[in-house]
Amino acid sequence: MELILDNLTKSFGSFTAVDHISLTMSKGVYGLLGVNGAGKTTLMRMLCTLLKPTGGSISCNGKDIFQMDGEYRNLLGYLPQDFGFYPEFSVKDYLLYIAAIKGLRPAIARKRTKDLIAKVGLTRAENKKMKQLSGGMKRRAGIAQAMLNDPKILILDEPTAGLDPNERIRFRNLVSSLSEERLVLLSTHIVSDIEYIANEIWMMKDGRIVTRGSLEEIIAAMPEKVWLCHVPQREVSLLQKRYRVANIKSLQQVAELRAISAGKPCEDAILTAPTLEDVFLYYFGEMGGDENAAI
Amino acid sequence: MLLYEIKKVILKPATKIVLALLAALLLVVCCLAVSCVYYVDDEGNITKGIKAVRTLRDKKMEWAGELTEDVLKEALRQNALVNSSEEYLSQNVQENNKAYAKKQGFSDIRKLISCSFCDFREYDYYRADSIREEEIGQFYENRTLHLAKWLYSGEAEHLYSEAEKQFLIGRYDSLKKPLYYEYTDGWAALLEYAPSLIMFLVLLTGFLVSGIFPNEFQWRSDAVFFSSKYGRDKAAASKVLAGFCIVTAIYLISMSLYSVAVLGILGTDGASCPIQVSLGGWKSFYHITFWEDYLLTVLGGYIGNLFILALSMLVSAKTRSPVLPAAIPFLVVFLPVLTSNLPVLSKVMGLFPDQLLQICTALRYFNLYQLGGEVIGAIPILLVSYTLLSLLLPPVLYQVYRKTEIT
Repeated sequence: MELILDNLTKSFGSFTAVDHISLTMSKGVYGLLGVNGAGKTTLMRMLCTLLKPTGGSISCNGKDIFQMDGEYRNLLGYLPQDFGFYPEFSVKDYLLYIAAIKGLRPAIARKRTKDLIAKVGLTRAENKKMKQLSGGMKRRAGIAQAMLNDPKILILDEPTAGLDPNERIRFRNLVSSLSEERLVLLSTHIVSDIEYIANEIWMMKDGRIVTRGSLEEIIAAMPEKVWLCHVPQREVSLLQKRYRVANIKSLQQVAELRAISAGKPCEDAILTAPTLEDVFLYYFGEMGGDENAAI
Repeated sequence: MLLYEIKKVILKPATKIVLALLAALLLVVCCLAVSCVYYVDDEGNITKGIKAVRTLRDKKMEWAGELTEDVLKEALRQNALVNSSEEYLSQNVQENNKAYAKKQGFSDIRKLISCSFCDFREYDYYRADSIREEEIGQFYENRTLHLAKWLYSGEAEHLYSEAEKQFLIGRYDSLKKPLYYEYTDGWAALLEYAPSLIMFLVLLTGFLVSGIFPNEFQWRSDAVFFSSKYGRDKAAASKVLAGFCIVTAIYLISMSLYSVAVLGILGTDGASCPIQVSLGGWKSFYHITFWEDYLLTVLGGYIGNLFILALSMLVSAKTRSPVLPAAIPFLVVFLPVLTSNLPVLSKVMGLFPDQLLQICTALRYFNLYQLGGEVIGAIPILLVSYTLLSLLLPPVLYQVYRKTEIT
């Protein structure tokens, strides 16, 4: 299984949401990291044939996915960012319906639905109406629908948005368990979602991939260093203006700052190991600190 | 897939409200239709209900048969006899009712005589009272004579071409005479209220089907739907099919219940009588029976429902909103009322889809069109053209929906 994005571009009028992206994906988990508005959802929607590109192409094993039509979608499982459902359907009915439109035969659909309901921990809620589920349960129903056809390509767009930390960990483990023998593309602005499970991470900004590689490669490739500084409280705001500050920890008289900088930001600064969060901050700067960017 | 699509519509809370409203309206229309037939007993009291209907039917069926000159003369004689009675001449309404009770059996024939002897655009209920027996031979000829007189009068001279005038006169001449008469009140009542019910059906069904396509966007289930294997073919087709199944099921169930209820109470007699034996059908140039009128009304209503609601679904698929599409049936039904005074539209209005919802009424109109030198009534054009359009819309709807992009 090989998915190739060649010069992929999508423009809406004069605005370019995805700007000449070329990538190749095969088996494994790919983490797409970027702030809101970076173009992640547009990219994912093109990969799901929901949007046609204005330029470039997407091919699956050498064939254009839009020409493959249903044949390609048969390989696909998709959990959209704003996962919607049929409010009056029970969880079971919802999954059986999605199984039907995914082309599963009724007997297989029933078995698969039962298995997945158990796998995502919704057995006790299978007869509950979808509208009565909690946010976490809805997301789990969402991943179940994406997995119904045992997809070779699993695309998850912001799958943990709005979930509490417990649900996020549970969801991450679930995705990790599902990632064997398939291509998983997981888009998020939450660094911890992909830090532990992605084989390759892409950072997307303004429609372009600004850096890519494994966690170690991305961290190693960061052009600046990460420093721990202890400074008086009054100097904190000054340092914040000069450097990208990943963290501020108040101690009694001083504050401990985690700053990103090419050189030492202060006299007693100690060099420390960078994390993916630091890389994220480096590339996305203040945008990474907006209300949606729960780093 | 189809069953799930239908389930999506049925499970919506709004659907339950619409179906309850539909049931209530069906009951009201049935009651109105049934209650329009009444019997006046020998004491002059007005009675309604199954027993009253049966008595009235028996009285009218005494006059069943061909409306020959002898029958018409007998009706005039009986009419004159009642008119000379004390009850008829009394100033007391109850006494007048007693007199009317004696006329009930031939009241339909009496009305036809009045109609035949009035000018084309007039109706004088009492005209029959002044007709002499020797004049009754003119009964059938009058129909054509009064039409011709009207067609060449100042009022209608410019409304129709010469070919159209000759077509109408020819149609009137070709009416099979003498007309066969029976009690037809059941069919008449059924057809009188059928257009109202059909219009209610299209308006209410519009609320149900206008959501089939845009609901995916409103519920934000569109992304999963269109990224599924059959999302852009079979699943889209099942939506189209679900729409047509819902329209068909609601229409057929409602019309069947209405027909069974009304005809069950008022009787099915007179199905083979020509519509010309009723006051409403006397002037129609369509020579059909009540049964054929009923079939055309039901068929026309169905085609009208299909066309209007398919149009509604098409707009909903295009706009991704159920609001405008739900208003389309209202526009189709009520727009002609607003535009009826525009002379420029008078000719084409006979071909508006609202006409399909009231075929039994449209049968009385002189809406004529010339196609390749042939004059033809509006009804065949309506039935053929809207059937074709109704068949054409589903593939268009399917194509529009399957090409949807999710931005």
